[in-house]
Amino acid sequence: MTGPLDGIRVVDLTVAWSGPGATALLGDLGAEVIRVEGNDRPSRQVSASLTKEAVRNSWQGATFPDRDPGARPYDRYAVFNWHARNKLSVCMNLDTPEGHAAALKLLQISDVFVENNARGTLEKLGLGHNELLELNPRLIVARMPPLGMSGPMSDYLGYGPNFNALVGISAIDGYEGEGPESAGDNNHMDEVSPASLAFSVIAALWDRERTGQGGLIEFSQAENLMQNMGEAYLDWQMNRRLPPIRGNSDAHFLQDVFPAKEDDRWVAISIRDDRDWQGLKSVIGDAPWLADGDDAELRAANSVELRRALSEWTQSRSSDEIVLALQARGVPAGEVMSESRLLADEHLRARQWFRERTHPSVGTHRYPGWPWRASGLDLAYGRPLPGFGEDNEYVYKALLGYSDDEYESLRERSLVTDAQLA
Amino acid sequence: MTPDQTMTQPVGTGRNPQVLSGSVVLDLSRWVVGEYATRFFGDLGSDVIKVEKPGEGSYTRHWGPFPEDVPDPEASALFLHLNTNKRSAALDLKDRDDRALLFKLVERADAVVESFRPGRLEELGLGPTTLQQCNPRLVVTRISPFGQDGPYRDYAATGLTLQAMGGPMHSTGDAHRAPLRKPGFLEWYAIGGVAAEATMAGLFQARRSGAGSIIDLSEHEVLLSGADRRAAHLLAAEYSGSDAPRGYPSAHRGGASFNGKFPAKDGLVLLYITTPAFWNRLVRLVSGDDAQFREKYLDHWDLGDDQEEFSEYLRKWFGQRCKADIMEIGQNARIPLTAFLSVNEVYEHPHFRERGAFVWGDHPRAGRLEYLSGPWRMDRGYELRMTAPLLGQHTDEIRAEVEGRSESC
Repeated sequence: MTGPLDGIRVVDLTVAWSGPGATALLGDLGAEVIRVEGNDRPSRQVSASLTKEAVRNSWQGATFPDRDPGARPYDRYAVFNWHARNKLSVCMNLDTPEGHAAALKLLQISDVFVENNARGTLEKLGLGHNELLELNPRLIVARMPPLGMSGPMSDYLGYGPNFNALVGISAIDGYEGEGPESAGDNNHMDEVSPASLAFSVIAALWDRERTGQGGLIEFSQAENLMQNMGEAYLDWQMNRRLPPIRGNSDAHFLQDVFPAKEDDRWVAISIRDDRDWQGLKSVIGDAPWLADGDDAELRAANSVELRRALSEWTQSRSSDEIVLALQARGVPAGEVMSESRLLADEHLRARQWFRERTHPSVGTHRYPGWPWRASGLDLAYGRPLPGFGEDNEYVYKALLGYSDDEYESLRERSLVTDAQLA
Repeated sequence: MTPDQTMTQPVGTGRNPQVLSGSVVLDLSRWVVGEYATRFFGDLGSDVIKVEKPGEGSYTRHWGPFPEDVPDPEASALFLHLNTNKRSAALDLKDRDDRALLFKLVERADAVVESFRPGRLEELGLGPTTLQQCNPRLVVTRISPFGQDGPYRDYAATGLTLQAMGGPMHSTGDAHRAPLRKPGFLEWYAIGGVAAEATMAGLFQARRSGAGSIIDLSEHEVLLSGADRRAAHLLAAEYSGSDAPRGYPSAHRGGASFNGKFPAKDGLVLLYITTPAFWNRLVRLVSGDDAQFREKYLDHWDLGDDQEEFSEYLRKWFGQRCKADIMEIGQNARIPLTAFLSVNEVYEHPHFRERGAFVWGDHPRAGRLEYLSGPWRMDRGYELRMTAPLLGQHTDEIRAEVEGRSESC
């Protein structure tokens, strides 16, 4: 059994989370994903000179094994490594003639090119999609500019929370009864870009079998994010209404996040219908306040008081006790899980979801598994990450045909290294 | 540019072929995840047939919001958004003739996407092995809260409990209050996108190998693999033994960090400073002629005791200006600074209008509305061929299409 994308070569010029998340999905399907990384910049969003001392008091320290960036911080950064599985790494400094030439040679023999840099970056590097498609008409060039390649805002700078604000997500985010100022941060644009982009790449590969042609996929991440509130755009047109901020509560269900007995442990509980309510009653037992929720109308009218009473009950029970008792009666309940709780979770252990892998730069660890699995289809989970420049020889010599002398010359001039210098 | 002035695109003038023309997907789902996933296929030209329970149909038909809040299963905004480019066949999965028709559809389908509770398809005599006996190339995408096996297999779930158990909720919100979910239907959309990608992978594999696959998609695991902090935080905890702090903003923030929501004259703006370069641009921008302030705060991102003074200065600067102006001035100065827009402001924004991010569609019950155009711009790509179907609208047409075919399943 081979993976769906076996034999497909992907050139990966992605940064941060949304782009690498997409190429990780392609790598899961067996594609050969080659990260092109410059040694003259923090290609993995971390400096080569980061020290243990510098991160001693920040949470960034916690993103390294044993809180130690070590000699190769760029190989040890969890913020990068979570999406690094199955990938290769080749050192090319694209702002040098040598790096540019090597990149073009690689793109000439590749099937897919994915990038999520700021608008215009490829053009500045002399790697604009028109040139690439002339060079290799079978190439699928997938570009992920946050606000698209055209339009008055297409040059705008921002991080995940900026785009949440821009496209209306932040306007509906916050604690119940409060304003958007009360919300925390999230990077939902990063969450939803990878799969939508990967879908379009596979669809383009499917179509290419018929047409023999590649082409450009322009993927505006912000417009993809807008899809996540599509019903609100229709509600505005129908009713001139904007969605309210509901926090953890819901218009249809009686639900909230409740404190358990243990310090800072929380349980989410949703009562969807009368059946769930009866289930809750059978767990709680005899309590007068339960009569105030016996049907949907009563639950809506008494929502605040019922949740307050439920909160008093949950604070007298452990989170495990609450979840087990309610789930035994088919009532949706789940603890708000910290990472350590998930690493010890019995369901995930039974599903073998975490994957133990080893790499010289970090040792042996468990890594987050695939988002889905299948029978009749082979998914890849090979190396957990590529060391910086780990595949230089393979790419330059085996793929691009550089002679030993040519390759050595690049190494001597530090244009090709297996360490990040910046 | 107001909606009335936009270019209209007639619905139903499908170019042929689009990227996925010729493929057939059966949507047996009843909620956001499966419907969003299968809509991707319809968006790119697949023949997507939504199989719905007669008289009832999808749950999203009954969710709303509705025009003037009058419940109408043919005018639910959620259903309308999720089910463009699909046909609807009303089939009773327990009726002999309807099942015969279903098997004829299965025979010519590339994929079936379902989100019943694990085991339900088998109970109905429609398990994946049965379906694949009929069509060995069939991809069966099975969407469930916790997967087709495992201790939580039969656990009940809602969006909130899935976010709690799978998503990055533990470090979202205020550190001293209850963890806060992401709003709306965000988690369902995230999972739907992955279901689309998985199904497309199955189709690609089936074309190569001639064999189908059975995809086990656990909504829980999709969220656990999530690019929004979850996977990164899990690996960090594994590496260092430390959980992400409650209410933690972002792992991307480096040393020169300063971010926050600031009130403008007419709303809010979001400032997200992560580097010394951004910091200095901000200082130059807001100091204007105030040389003293500029000198004091250039390179001084490590504010220490000056935190309050700086924040107050910033609040005053933002408070005197409108959010749109702040965003324009800030972006001109190359600072990650955006206004909080609400849906209506996005809907009318020249940037999205110029890009053609909306397309008009006529629906027999909901009338003329603008829909979000697909997020991919590609040759033979997105088209709004049809608005969402009425319940069972295409049953007869589909029956006629497969009539006369000899029964093989």
